[in-house]
Amino acid sequence: MGKNFFMKKKFKIAIASGKGGVGKSMLSSSLAILFSKKYKVVAVDADVDAPNLAIWLNEISRWDKIEKFSVSSKPVFDYKKCNGCGKCVDVCQFNALKMVSGKPHLDSFTCEGCGACENVCPRNAIKLKPVNGAKIKIKDTKYGFSLISGELIPGETGSGKIISKIKGIAEGYDYEIMIIDSSPGTGCPVIASLQGVDFVILITEPTPSAFSDLKRVLKVVNYFKLPWGLIINKKDINNALGNRINKWAKGNVLGSISYDQNIFKAIADFQPILETDLIAKQEIKTIFNNLLLKI
Amino acid sequence: MGKEKIQKIAITGGKGGTGKSTFSVLLANKLVKLGHKVALVDVDVECPNDYLLLNQKLKKKIGFTYAKFPKIDKRKCRKCGLCVKSCKSNAIFQAPGQYPIFLPELCSGCGVCWLTCPYGAIKPREVKTGEIFINQVNNNLWLITGLAKAGLEETGPVVAQVKKIVLNFAEKMNIDMILFDTAAGTHCPVIQALINVDFAYAVTEPTPMGAYDLGLLLELSQKLKIRTKVILNKANLGNKKFIEKIVNKYKVKIASAIPYDKNLAKAYSNGQLLDLDYDFRINGEKFFYEKKV
Repeated sequence: MGKNFFMKKKFKIAIASGKGGVGKSMLSSSLAILFSKKYKVVAVDADVDAPNLAIWLNEISRWDKIEKFSVSSKPVFDYKKCNGCGKCVDVCQFNALKMVSGKPHLDSFTCEGCGACENVCPRNAIKLKPVNGAKIKIKDTKYGFSLISGELIPGETGSGKIISKIKGIAEGYDYEIMIIDSSPGTGCPVIASLQGVDFVILITEPTPSAFSDLKRVLKVVNYFKLPWGLIINKKDINNALGNRINKWAKGNVLGSISYDQNIFKAIADFQPILETDLIAKQEIKTIFNNLLLKI
Repeated sequence: MGKEKIQKIAITGGKGGTGKSTFSVLLANKLVKLGHKVALVDVDVECPNDYLLLNQKLKKKIGFTYAKFPKIDKRKCRKCGLCVKSCKSNAIFQAPGQYPIFLPELCSGCGVCWLTCPYGAIKPREVKTGEIFINQVNNNLWLITGLAKAGLEETGPVVAQVKKIVLNFAEKMNIDMILFDTAAGTHCPVIQALINVDFAYAVTEPTPMGAYDLGLLLELSQKLKIRTKVILNKANLGNKKFIEKIVNKYKVKIASAIPYDKNLAKAYSNGQLLDLDYDFRINGEKFFYEKKV
């Protein structure tokens, strides 16, 4: 134990949970701050359709850099060339095309931008055009590390590609530890977040929903054969289930955090947990120390 | 036809863990008590939880969802690499001089590779991507749950297929209200859940995070032209002003405020939410369901 992190020059940790709202960003922000006291850190907010890491770090005032970029393309039709053969409609696996009075029409919200229609059109009447579907925001935080945050523009697709892109940008930084705060769920953004990381921190709470979602996301973690650790947040809201989860996770538990309504107040005052006197602060520090032993 | 149109309501919100599923179950219960026949549809297909809140087991299936994925015929493949170039998802990898390797965790199943291959060496293969479960909770309440295969990259089409099956089912069963409980965020599975609904409730919490994500969600619902109202959950915690700012910016209304309540949390944990009868109304603001639309 321990040799992975200390032998590797660059170490990547992703934080995932399955269920939303169980504490991913709170934990990610706290761990980034704790690591930054000893190591060179870069933080990545990969919850691109609900990015909140900046708020948790109280770094909302101004970004150093905001850049729009394209993660997907959408077909544009030249109706003069189109003879209405309908091949593009047949070939679309996402049902994003419909014939309307003899010509194909696009439902851009359903379109994946894959280019199957362009590919199949016998008259070259379809061309894919890139769409600016994403924003990348970068900031040097007051903690001395950089935060790279991706944001999917609502209504656009391609969250996985944004994540690959911002992880690529983060890779260019001089870092020893990269913290990747992923989104809820198990689909494309989570897969993109977990790809290529060295360790996954899973966080859950003792409710049947969160436990069920935890098992789902663990399947993805296991698919990538990644080592993981577990944190049980709000453990005291249901100690019995909390203990059951503890047992289920065998030796992988890194620690737990107590439920505290004051955390809500701290959030509303933009106060990072580590700058409060809440019990959670000490609990997170314990988790951090356990984590160092584990990686 | 002469039949009344089926009302389709989405429950969404942006941020995770704000209470979408809890509210969905409470609302479904309320609608049943008001005399409606209701289908509650869990389209958080990556992490569905409504069945747990309703103390149900996912056993009985009413269908599957499918997608096509590429399969290579090595006898026909000439290693030309055109498929690799065609793939916008970077799901095909080829080492020099080797056969291409297909990475299922990145594949969206779009079909560009088999359309591109000049030698007919790539063929579509239909694969199950998810299951659709049904539970009859009581005489007038059905729960339909979409469950995507864990590790499936593209879950938007799963949602779209679940919705299609539900609509058929609802017509057959004379269901007049369908509630779609969506995933968090604004990405493909949420977009698919919101398309073609009559209106939406956005469940949020009074924190800066809740407010920020609500803003993104409202931007999406306005682009999709869906009337949306806000449900402020855990209303007595945090600070309401964050939400009020967003609500004013997007000119939407707060339809109801639900205080954080230990009994509710307990009922949630134990799968007993149906025992609660919540009155959501505040400020005399009417719920969408109380108006004839």
